[in-house]
Amino acid sequence: MADGNTPQPNPDTPSSVGATRVLIADDDHVNRLILRAILAKEGYAVEVAEDGREAVARFTEWQPDLVLMDVMMPVLDGYEATREIKALAGDAFVPVIFLTALSDEAALARCVAVGGDDFLTKPYSRVILKAKIDALERVRRLHVTLRQQRDELAGHQRRLLQEHQVAEKVLAKIVHSGSLDASQIKYLLSPMAIFNGDMLLAARKPSGGLHVMLGDFTGHGLSAAIGTVPVADIFYGMTDKGFSIGDILATINDKLRVILPTDVFFAAVLLELDANHTKLTIWNGGIPDVAIRRVDGRVESLPSDHLPLGVIENEQLDRAVRVVEVEAGDRIVAFSDGFIEAHNPEGEMFGLERLVATLASEADPDSMFDGLLRTLGDFVGEGALGDDLSLVEITCDPAWAQARSSEAPRAFHPRAPMRWSISIELVPDTLRSVDPLPLVMHLLMDLQGLQEHREQLYAVLMELFSNALDHGLLGLDSALKQTPEGFVRYYELRKQRLAELDHGRVRISLDHEPDGKGGSLRFTVVDDGPGFDHSRVFAPLEENVSFFGRGIPLLKSICEHLEYTGSGNQVEAVYRWGNNEAGADSATHD
Amino acid sequence: MAPWGVPGDRHKGRFMPLTIQRSDDDRVVTITISGRFDFDLHQEFRQAFEHAEDEEASYVIDLAQAEYMDSSALGMLLLLRERAGGDRADISIVNCSPAINKILTISNFHKLFKVA
Repeated sequence: MADGNTPQPNPDTPSSVGATRVLIADDDHVNRLILRAILAKEGYAVEVAEDGREAVARFTEWQPDLVLMDVMMPVLDGYEATREIKALAGDAFVPVIFLTALSDEAALARCVAVGGDDFLTKPYSRVILKAKIDALERVRRLHVTLRQQRDELAGHQRRLLQEHQVAEKVLAKIVHSGSLDASQIKYLLSPMAIFNGDMLLAARKPSGGLHVMLGDFTGHGLSAAIGTVPVADIFYGMTDKGFSIGDILATINDKLRVILPTDVFFAAVLLELDANHTKLTIWNGGIPDVAIRRVDGRVESLPSDHLPLGVIENEQLDRAVRVVEVEAGDRIVAFSDGFIEAHNPEGEMFGLERLVATLASEADPDSMFDGLLRTLGDFVGEGALGDDLSLVEITCDPAWAQARSSEAPRAFHPRAPMRWSISIELVPDTLRSVDPLPLVMHLLMDLQGLQEHREQLYAVLMELFSNALDHGLLGLDSALKQTPEGFVRYYELRKQRLAELDHGRVRISLDHEPDGKGGSLRFTVVDDGPGFDHSRVFAPLEENVSFFGRGIPLLKSICEHLEYTGSGNQVEAVYRWGNNEAGADSATHD
Repeated sequence: MAPWGVPGDRHKGRFMPLTIQRSDDDRVVTITISGRFDFDLHQEFRQAFEHAEDEEASYVIDLAQAEYMDSSALGMLLLLRERAGGDRADISIVNCSPAINKILTISNFHKLFKVA
C-alpha cells in the first residue's frame, strides 16, 4: 500500500468537509505502515512523521484534526511533542491519542498531564482504533461548533452594543430634546437608560409652567426603547400646544394600548408646575412615591394612585390628579423603582423609608441630590449600583420661571390679519370631559399664527374660562385657596361639583378685527351662573380681596380693555397685537 | 386536586418554581410560585394558562413561597388576565409578602386583581 494512496471517504466517518485528517507520529516504520493502512481503509486522510520534531512541523503545515502519538521517539519524545502541539493549537481542540505499550500507571498519567486525550495500547485493534478516533472526532466537532457559536455570539454582542450606542444617540435626540438642562432641574439617568425603558422628559408650557415626566417601560432592550419615541413625541407636542397632563397621559395611554403587547406597560409620573411655581399637579401611575422636601425640611410623599399606562382602555383610565400647593424652595423628587429595590450585600432593600429619611436628613437642600446618591452608594457597596436608577429633582423657583418667560421667542410669523370669529359653547357633559383651552389655542394658532403671543393669549383664556366655570357655574370661592387646607379643599370641591353639575353652560367667543399691521382680538366669555357684584372689580387691590385669585391684575396687564357686564356673568377682554401699542405687550417685533 | 401537566411535574418537590393545580370540577386553577417571580418563569407561566380551554375558570396565584417579583411578572399577570376574560377575569393573588405587596400597590394592581 503506497503512502500516496488517496483514501476513499467512508460513509460512516463523520465528515462534512472532507475526510478527517489524522497525523501519525511513530519512529517505527512497520507501525506507521500498519496504522496508515487501517486508517486509509476507513477513509481518513493520513500523514506521517518519524519523530516528535517532525510531528510538530507536520502539524503546523498540515493542521490535522487528530494526532496519533508514539511515546518513545528520537529527537523529541511524544510527551514534549504533545505539549508543543497543544500549545500551537491554542483554544482549538486537537485530540492527541498516545500509542503505547506502556502499562506503567505513572507513564500513562504523564500522557494525560502533557495534554493527551486517550491511549491506545499495542497491538492495535482496528475496531477500537476507529471507535476512539470517531469518539474524539465527535468531541472535536462539537468543540468547533461551540467555538463558532461563541465567536458569533461575541460578534453579535459587539454589533448589538455598537448599534445600541448609535440608537441611543438618535433616540436621545428625540427623547431628551426638552428642558432637562434647566438650572432648577437636577437629574440622573443611566447612559443606557433608554434601553432599560427609563425615560425622563421636561418641557416648558406655553403659559410659562413646566411639565416633567419620569417613566419606566417593563422589560429591557429594544422593545422597551421603541415605546419611548411615541411617548416623547406626544409629551412634547401636546405640552407645546397647551394641553394639560390629563390630556397628555390619556393620549399616551391610548397610543400604548395600540402599540404595546399585553404584558408590556409604562409606569409613569407626570408633574405639572404652574407658571408661578405655587401649584403642583401630579398624576402617578406605578412610579414609587414622589417626595416633596419642603423649605422647612419636612418631607411629604405622594404615592402612586393609578395603574401604569398602556394597561387599560381610555374609557376606564382614571385621569384624577392630585393638586399640591408648593412655594419657592420646595424640592420635588421623583425616582425609579431601582432606588427602592437596590440591595446591600446582605440582601436588604434600600426601601422607601430609608430614602425619605435620607432626603430629610441632609441639612443643606442643595446637597440633597448628591447626598442621596452617596447614601445609596454606601448602602449597596462599591460598584454594585445597578443601571436602572433614574432620579429627578425639581426646585420650585418663581424667579426662574419668570426669567425664562423673557427668553427670545421662537421665530414664528403671524399671518396677515384677517377678520374672523369663532364661538364654542360647553354644557356639563362637555365641561366634564373636554378641556376647551387647547382646542381654542390650536384654532387661534392655525387661523392667525400668533405663536409669539401664545403665553399671553393662553393666560387670558385660562383666567376667563376658569372664572366662568369655577366661580360662575361651580360657585367656588377663590378665597379658599389662601390656606393650604383650603387649597386642597378647593380642588376637592371643584372635582365634586363638576361631577354633580347637571345644568349650566359656558360660551367662549373670539372675534378678530384687522388693525393696521396687526389686529385686535376680543374674548367674550359668558356663563349662566348667578354672576357677582362686579362694581368694585377695578377698585384698588387692597379693597377687593374677595376677587383675589380671579387674575384680574394679570388680565389688566395683558389686555387693552377688560369689562364685566350683566350680573357679572359676562366678561369681555380685548388683546391687541402687531402695532407696538400699549396693551399689546412687547412680544411683537415688526 | 389533580396535578396538571407542566414540564418538571415529575420532579415533584419544593424545587419546582411553578406548580399548577386544578380543582376537581375544573373551576379553580391554582398557580403556586416559589422563589423569584421574574422573566425566567415567562414560558412556564404562559403554558400554565395557554392550554386552558375554559375561560370561565377562576385563578388563584399563590405567592407564599415567592421571594421577589419584578415588572415582567406584573406583565405575566396582565397576560393571564386577558386570557381569563379581561374585565370579567376572576384572579386572586394570595399570600403576598410585604415586599411583593408593595410592588403590587405601587402599580395599583389591586384595581385589576383581588389581592389578599
